[in-house]
Amino acid sequence: MAIKKKEEKEKTEKKKSPKSEEKLEYVNKQGKRLDGRTVEETRPIKITVGVVPSADGSCYLEWGQNKVIAAVYGPRECLPKHTASPYKAVVRYTYRMATFSVPDRKNPRPGRRDVEISKVSAEAFEKAIFTEKFPNTAIDIFVEVLDSNAGTRIAALTTASVALADAGIPMRDLVAGVAVGRADGHIIVDLNKYEEDAPDAVDMPIAILPNSEEIVLLQMDGLFSKKEWQQARQLAFAAIKNVHALQKQALLKKYENSESAEKPEKTEKTNGSDVQ
Amino acid sequence: MKKIIVPGELVSSERKRPGDHVFLQNGRMYSDVLGILDDRPGEVSVVPLEGCYAPRRDDVIVGVISSEKATGYMVSLNSFTQSFVSKKDVREQMKPGFVISARVMDVNEMKEAELSQVRVFFGGEIISVSPVKIPRVIGKNASMLEVLKRGTNSTIMVGRNGWIWAKGGNMPLLISAIKKIEAEAHFENLTIKLQDFLALSNKSVRPQMPAMPAAQGGLRPQLGKIGDNKMNEDNAAMKPEAEALGKNGMQDDSDESDSNGY
Amino acid sequence: MISQFLDLKTDKVLQSIRDGKRLDGRKLDEYRPVSISKDVSVNAEGAARVRIGETDVIVGVKMLPMKPFPDSPNDGSLSVGAELLPIASPTFETGPPSEESIEIARVVDRGIRESKCIDFKSWGIVEEELAWNAFVDIYAINHDGNLFDASALAAIAALSDTKIPKLEDGKVVKGEFEGKLKLSRKPLLCTIAKIGNSLVADTTFAEERAQSARFSVAVTEDEYLSAFQKGGLGSFTASEIDSAIDMALKNSKDLRKAMKD
Repeated sequence: MAIKKKEEKEKTEKKKSPKSEEKLEYVNKQGKRLDGRTVEETRPIKITVGVVPSADGSCYLEWGQNKVIAAVYGPRECLPKHTASPYKAVVRYTYRMATFSVPDRKNPRPGRRDVEISKVSAEAFEKAIFTEKFPNTAIDIFVEVLDSNAGTRIAALTTASVALADAGIPMRDLVAGVAVGRADGHIIVDLNKYEEDAPDAVDMPIAILPNSEEIVLLQMDGLFSKKEWQQARQLAFAAIKNVHALQKQALLKKYENSESAEKPEKTEKTNGSDVQ
Repeated sequence: MKKIIVPGELVSSERKRPGDHVFLQNGRMYSDVLGILDDRPGEVSVVPLEGCYAPRRDDVIVGVISSEKATGYMVSLNSFTQSFVSKKDVREQMKPGFVISARVMDVNEMKEAELSQVRVFFGGEIISVSPVKIPRVIGKNASMLEVLKRGTNSTIMVGRNGWIWAKGGNMPLLISAIKKIEAEAHFENLTIKLQDFLALSNKSVRPQMPAMPAAQGGLRPQLGKIGDNKMNEDNAAMKPEAEALGKNGMQDDSDESDSNGY
Repeated sequence: MISQFLDLKTDKVLQSIRDGKRLDGRKLDEYRPVSISKDVSVNAEGAARVRIGETDVIVGVKMLPMKPFPDSPNDGSLSVGAELLPIASPTFETGPPSEESIEIARVVDRGIRESKCIDFKSWGIVEEELAWNAFVDIYAINHDGNLFDASALAAIAALSDTKIPKLEDGKVVKGEFEGKLKLSRKPLLCTIAKIGNSLVADTTFAEERAQSARFSVAVTEDEYLSAFQKGGLGSFTASEIDSAIDMALKNSKDLRKAMKD
């Protein structure tokens, strides 16, 4: 790390990074994307249940490069008291990203994006959890993103779902989701960072209660036609079935043998790209 | 191995009564928790593998006095709200930090319980396990509890809320034995396993098993029914503090009653 | 966890320590098993996850080129932050950093900075214009006591493994690196608690509730002390501090072994 003097710096030419100049082929003629996946495949997903001993329920999940940890506390006393409801539990979801989870450093103070994601995610879980069973309490869900590469809010939701089941909180269903969208005219499942930056990119995170296929989270960035939305929705539902199967597998794995109950260091290695 | 199901999983497509942790949706029945399927002729329910304690009438619990009010005391008992015991129901003066056992007399919509039949315990310590595993700690006919007491020489009081008060004897051994039960609660033949475990760690335990029914492994968990004649007989034989188990939890076989111990 | 329940445990701890024993069978100066893993975050320039018993801490390092301070135009800088995530304990809340987390960050920072293990002058890039800033961010994932030592160990492990991003015209080239961060020393924090009249190393959560005070000291491999921090409402005698320092010197050697694996 030698020090350059000021004058030297002005002499160096500005070179454009090659990547921004070439046109990327998001899906080639063989139907393969930049990272080798087909348009329907999700990135590999690894789920480990019960990683935070202090919490009532917890989960660690890797989805592609994304790494997320979720912990659930509750039902517990809802403080401040004036925010409690005498009819149901209040679901509080806190989504945060570690400073080192992104290429540039993220400001540790929660931004408006964090607040919005927290809000829509809490709303997704309000529908899933039998909140009427726990009046005057709070169910606190904390999610921290340690590493990110597109689709973090969906990864976070998926992780939190498993943590809630691990905490024994009664739910209508697990919540599972995927981000679908478009890059270069192709409808694709589970966009990665490059695909998110495509000139015509559409990013649509969607989460459902798998049994009833009720949509509990739906957001969209970009320009979609109705037909594209329907195509995307179909692909999404198929992909979500897989994600849901992986969630279930991870929960069962915790009880597979007595050793797993002591220190669950075992991760659930799965290939998340199988489409059933 | 019993069938483990996740929240939202279909439990039965037959026409049955939905039991604990089972809900009806569009004519079909689903589980609302991560737990073990209990599918019986007239009813299907799920026994949760995790979760905090929800007070039920007639449960005997182990709690800790958290504060004193004008007319009674607030009691912490591993639930999401505290419960209350009236001063009229208590003989002695109590202070925050006292460990007690008590019976749940009534539960309101807020899941707050009214407690009575209070006993105070001094010394000893509280071992905490997941409440859903408590029936396994007691065992059929209190068989597991016997094994624990004999294997460690400790005095033990089991609360349905997941808190176990214990004093004396080989405490570290008792704690590891209880943790072992908690970790393997969903397996068969647990009582025998624990006997062996304790015998190994403590050569003075003689394997004396209470009479077990012929068929053991592979049976589904069956839940005791309150009001069974057999249960009343067993109850009479126990000390007054020992209470019948409510309809809850995992057991080895048959529908015998269990005591909370002591 | 209900506080009355914890109070019962606290009494047990005090009783046990008076008898010279700990609830988990360790000796008074013994650490719980320590493990370090590096596979934490690809986006971090350096990262490490440390487990001491059930305490679990993750540290990530971001290297950013920034404008140096006017009074030291050739120097880079170090900035340490900490967050006690509500994930880690029912006693932690969401919100701005608590005084607990600020203290941890500052003590870890001091241990590193004062040991002179970083040559900030070598972090200059262009005089007066650009120099490397290392942002070390500590996240508690599970709290079972001794967050100080776990954080410091994770910070040093992360810094030891930190890659320097490649620069082109003062801008970082994503995904490309040029060399690794150099540390001339690796200071480690060892915290000793006073429980009753005994000195205890590597306290669990329950033991911390029983402690009257704690003393943290940063120790380098060449046996220099680069930071002191006494905390808590109680006090230490001078000879207790001496004993604590001896304990720290001995224990830091074991912690260093964990770093090597």
